[in-house]
Parts: sequence; C-alpha cells; structure tokens
Amino acid sequence: MKAIWKGVLPRVIAGTAIIAMSTATLATGGVTQAGAASKVTISVAYAANTTFDTTPLGLTWWTAVKTEYEQKYPNVTVNLVAVQGGEPDFLTKLALDYHSTSTAPTLAQFPSTEIALYQSTGYLKSLSPFLKNSSWFAQFPKVIQNEGLIGGKIYAVSSGENNVGLYYDKAIMLKAGIKLPWQPKTWNDIIAAAEKIKAAEPKIIPLWTDAGTSAGPNGAGYGILNLLAGSSTPTIQTSSGKMVVDSPGLLQTLNFYHEVFSKGLGAPTSQLFSPNNAPNIPSADFFKGTLGIAVGANFLGGNWTKQVSFPYWSKASTAMGVAGLPKVNGGGYASTLSGWDFGISSAASSAQATAAFNFMNVAQEQKNLIEAGNWAGWVPPVQSDWTVPLYTNFAAPFNEEFGKLLPSSSELPTSANYSVWVQGIEEASGTLAQTPSTTGAQALATMKGFVTNQLGASAVTTLK
Amino acid sequence: MASLPVMDTVTGPSMSELWKTRHDKSRYQWSSLGLLTPAFALLVLLFLVPMGFAVYLGLTNLTLVGPTAIHSAFTGMANLERLKSDTTFWSSLWATGIFIVGSVVGVVVVGYVLASLLMRARPWMRMIVGGVVVVAWMMPAVTAGMTWYASTTGGGAFSTLLGIPNTNFLDNDPLLVVTLASIWSMTGFSMLVMGAALRNIPSEAIEAATVENASSWQRFRMIILPLLRPTMTAVVLLTGLLALANFSLIYIMTQGGPGNATNILPLYSYQQAFTYNNLAYGALIGNVMVVIATVFGVFYVRITARRL
Repeated sequence: MKAIWKGVLPRVIAGTAIIAMSTATLATGGVTQAGAASKVTISVAYAANTTFDTTPLGLTWWTAVKTEYEQKYPNVTVNLVAVQGGEPDFLTKLALDYHSTSTAPTLAQFPSTEIALYQSTGYLKSLSPFLKNSSWFAQFPKVIQNEGLIGGKIYAVSSGENNVGLYYDKAIMLKAGIKLPWQPKTWNDIIAAAEKIKAAEPKIIPLWTDAGTSAGPNGAGYGILNLLAGSSTPTIQTSSGKMVVDSPGLLQTLNFYHEVFSKGLGAPTSQLFSPNNAPNIPSADFFKGTLGIAVGANFLGGNWTKQVSFPYWSKASTAMGVAGLPKVNGGGYASTLSGWDFGISSAASSAQATAAFNFMNVAQEQKNLIEAGNWAGWVPPVQSDWTVPLYTNFAAPFNEEFGKLLPSSSELPTSANYSVWVQGIEEASGTLAQTPSTTGAQALATMKGFVTNQLGASAVTTLK
Repeated sequence: MASLPVMDTVTGPSMSELWKTRHDKSRYQWSSLGLLTPAFALLVLLFLVPMGFAVYLGLTNLTLVGPTAIHSAFTGMANLERLKSDTTFWSSLWATGIFIVGSVVGVVVVGYVLASLLMRARPWMRMIVGGVVVVAWMMPAVTAGMTWYASTTGGGAFSTLLGIPNTNFLDNDPLLVVTLASIWSMTGFSMLVMGAALRNIPSEAIEAATVENASSWQRFRMIILPLLRPTMTAVVLLTGLLALANFSLIYIMTQGGPGNATNILPLYSYQQAFTYNNLAYGALIGNVMVVIATVFGVFYVRITARRL
C-alpha cells in the first residue's frame, strides 16, 4: 500500500491540482467574460426638444425603451444623451461629438438628410450585416429601406417618416361652395379653391404653404419641396451630385408661389417667417377657424390630440379633411419623405455595436415604433403598422390617411450641398411671400445666383 | 528721562552716483521680465495662439461634417478667392456697416439727449426714466430680441397702438427695426456715461458763456462738445464693437432674414460654419470681423494717444 501511495499519491495530487487549476482558470475566464459583458455600456443620443411633439413625451418614450432594453439585456448599461435645443443645435452638437471617438455616441437618432454626410465623414458603421436577418427591416417599403443605402451598404434605418398632404376645413370649403370630400387633381384646382374661399370668407387665410427661411431646412420639406416633387422635373440633385438651380419644375413651383401670394391667397409673413415653430402654425389657425387649406405635414393631425394639445381640438376628426397633394397637371400625388434614422457609430466596438443594434430591435418593436410615430408625429416605417388601431385611432382619420399617401412620397437628397440649395429655395419662396410683385422667374434667378455663388458653377446644373 | 529712540540711517546711492545716472533715458529692470511672464503667457495662450489658429483655419478646407471634417488640408488662398467673389459676403458686409453706423449714431445721440434732459429733470423723474433705460441696457439679448420681435411683427404692440394691426414692421424694414432694437438695448450705457461726463463739465464755463450771450447751440458746440469728445470717443468705440458682435439680438429677431436683409457678419459666419458646415470659411469671415475690430481699436488708440 505504502508503495502504491508512494507512486500514486503525488500523481493524484498533481492531477487534482491541474484539474483544480484548469477549473479555476475556466471559472475565472467565465467570470471575466461575464464581467466583460456586464461592462458593456452604450450611449444613445437623441434630440430632446425637436423630434417628439412635446419634450415630456420624448422623455417618456426613451425612458420606456431604455427600461425594457435593460431588462432584456441586464449586462448592458444604456446612457441616454438627451441633446437640448432646436434641430440645428442638435446637429451641431452631434457633429462635434462624432469628432472624437471618446465622445461619439454609440447609437444616435438623426434626420435622414444627414446620413450621407455622416457616412462620408466615416462616422457610421455599416448596418448591413445586422439587417440581413432583421424581420422588421424586411417590412419597410423599399423607398424607406433605401433611405440609408450608400454604395450598396445600409448605414442608417428609419424610426419614423414625415410626409405631406393637404388639410382643409370642411365648413369653410362648404361655405365657399366646394363639394366634399375635396380632392384637387391639379395645382390649378388648389388655386381655384383658395380663390373661392377668399371670395366667400375674405378675412381668413385661404391657403397656407410654407415660405421663407425661419423654419430651417425642414420648413421647405414641409412646404415648397412637396410642390417641386409634383412638378414636371422634380430633381433636386442629379446622379452626378450636381444641384439643380434651374429647371422647368423649379419655375412651375415658384410660379405657383407667385400666384398664391400675388392673388393674396397666402398666409401673412408674420406667420410664415415666425421663428416660433412655423410649420405647426396651421394647426392653431385651423382650430381658430382662420385657415381654409394648408399644405401640411402628417404631424398636424396629431397636434389636435389631447396628449400633444397644440391645441387640443376634439372635433378635428370631423371638422377637418385630408387630401393628397396633386402633381402640377394631375396624374397622382406627390410628397417629400424625410425621416429620423438610427445609426451606429464607427467608433463602437463590436460588443457595443451588437448591443446598439439590440437597442434598435427593442425600439422597432411594434408598440414602441407606433408610440414613437404617434408622439413624434411620424408615419411608422413598417407598412403593416399603418392600419393597426394603436396608430390609426391616435389621430383619426389623419394617421391612416397619411399612411396611405406615403407610397407616393420621394426621399429628399442627403448631401453637404443640399443645405445650401435648400437655403436658396427658401429665400426665393420668402421673397415671393414678402414681395408678391416678384415673378417666379425673378425668384428663380435669385435662387440660382445664391446657390451658384455659394457652391461654385461646377457644383450646379440646369435641367431643360 | 527716557531717551529718544535712535532713527535708523537710510543708506542709498551717494550724490556722486546719482549724478552719474541718466534720467532722460528709459531705464529697464531686466529682472521685471520674470514678473511679466505670466501676463505674457496668458496673452500668448488666450489670444495669439487662438487667433493664429483661427487664421490658419480660415485657410483650410475644414468642414463640420463630410470628408474633410477629420482630414482637412491647407488650401492656401482658395477661401480668400471665394470671399472676393462671394456676393452674399459683400451684402453682409454692407448690412454690417449700416447696422454699426446706425447703432453708434443712434446710441450716441439718444444717449446724449436723454442724459442732458435727465440733468434738468426732477429727481423722481430722473430715477424712473433712468431706471427704465438702464433696465433695457441690462436686459439679456435674448429677452430684448423677443420683446422687439413681439412688438414689431403683425399684431404686435407697435402696429396695434398705431391702429394698423396687420402691418409687419419687422419684415417690411428689417434692418431698420433691428438697428432700432440695438440702439434701444445700448442706450442705457451711453446715457450713464454721458450723464457722468456732463456732470463733470464746470458750470462756471457754461455760466460765463451765457453771460456773454452765447446761444444754446454755441454753448453746445464750443464748450460741451469739446469737453464731451473723449467720452463720446469711448462710447463710439465700445458701442461699435458691441454692435459688430451683436449676434443674439438679430438671430432671435430675424435669423439674418428675410433673405439676407439682416445677415450681418457674425450671423453669416455662423451660417457658413454651422448651417452649411463650412467651418473654415466661417472662420475666415470671423477673421474679417477681427480686422474690422482692430481698425476700431487702432482708431481709438490714436485718438486717445493724441489727447495724451
């Protein structure tokens, strides 16, 4: 026995020690991995005061998504970065944060018009590998899927879209002798209806259509660019990247504005040029009964709900009607499409990127997506959500109607030169509103001069 | 009897040494350079380095976002060439000139008139009017901008009081209205400074001129104005610089619009840097403002040096 023990015992002890050490190493390794997993922290940046209809609604939504996410993924900590201020302030802050890998937010929600800029700077990670098996992304209409498509890869995905149509006050239309439901077929039909309203109700504003620069680039997206989208040549930027500064479509659009303001059919400049949220003013005017028709964004309908109260108008669903914005000479509807998209920072580690994509998965769950749509005034990007009662009942019948209009919409370009171009067309529309004697051709020449001066002759082009 | 304390003898240079020292030449104590070093370091760190960097930035292609946001390059005179042919810049410079001249003239004239009227006013009236004017001066630019915006647009206080409620003064004459707002917001400063200077004018001089049958215009032109000139020069310089840097007031009221009607240089610089993402070009426009401010500074130094 002793002999046996003499030879075996050391081996047993040595073997036990090795096993113990291996187990300990594995265990330690496991703990380390778990520890590493628990240390994953992601930052999520969003505009605190501009995306949602009210700041508290935004806070409620983001906090709920964060809570749900952290329950699902207890090893990940989410730091919500609520950027205060208007949209330009948010964009400046985000651009500066992206400059450094230490401050770049892992995940950010930003306007679709910024995607190409951020991608060209190298700020965004390709989402294509994550989206291969995504069930929700497969349900996006093609036009929305392509919103973040650059060079065959997707860099951002929509969390909600804005499109534009016509709102009208049914009682005023009836007083003006216009049959309901009203659906103009051409731009001339819109002018004719506005003239009838002016004749029947001289004290009210016949037609609201955004003009001027006060609302920033979005103002044009909710106004004049929708008319351009329905013109004979709607191109803003050619495939070679040149900005269009002269085209039949631009002239048609500016001539339409000239007709509106020279005939006294448009809103006063005190409203159009108001720096105080001009695109939302029509919802207050309709409530007061001082506006006949408006070229307005989908979110106006939500403004009249109790939750948004801008202002609350319980009778809006029966008092107001919605129609598609026709193309210049008929043949369907037109609208611009601009959304707010999620993008993951190129500075994110693979663990952070996975965690950020999982956060997007939670945000894109049907309830979360629809609530974001309702509270931020967006049409959800998942087509099947457009008929879900949670969405349609929130601002009936407006939400459903704008969902139906969305397939007629087209995306706005996303490039550095767009911000200059849009300033040019907003200045042109502002001039037409302020000085109604200005012709469409004169306004177009001013716009052409401004954009060419800013971008250089090689960056602009004329379409025949 | 207690003895008196013995005074220490102060030792110093002998008379012969003092005679050897030249007093008609500037003398330097080289050891004082060490004491000046912190101030010099601050000047370099907080002024010369940032200014030099701003000048360099103005000659690059740096953008806020886009391919050259991270990897910018020196582009030589390209931005200056662009500036020369930038019609918006020249119209912005013109608007800036009108805004500054209008603001300065208004502030000096209204400030002087108020100060001289208040000198003759009853104490209670002086307190109320002076207080109101000073409150306007101390008001943050954001509040002043909102007040003037609300008062001068359609349905605002001015148009309602004048019985033309739909008239939109701000959009009809934007540069005039923002200049008036600027005058309103800076007059309190001018009034206080002018008031102090007026009180320092010897009353004997005025009385003597009155005895000699000098008219009020002659008293103003021959006595008051020359004695007020140094104060007025300081007010002109300071209000000119404040007007040149007046971003907030106009941004709140018009954001530089309608069109480019009120797009003065600070706003155009901001617009280029943060709306169009052209940080470098925005910096170059900022450098133009520094040149203008320097001209003001040189003007002030020359005038004050002449007085000395």
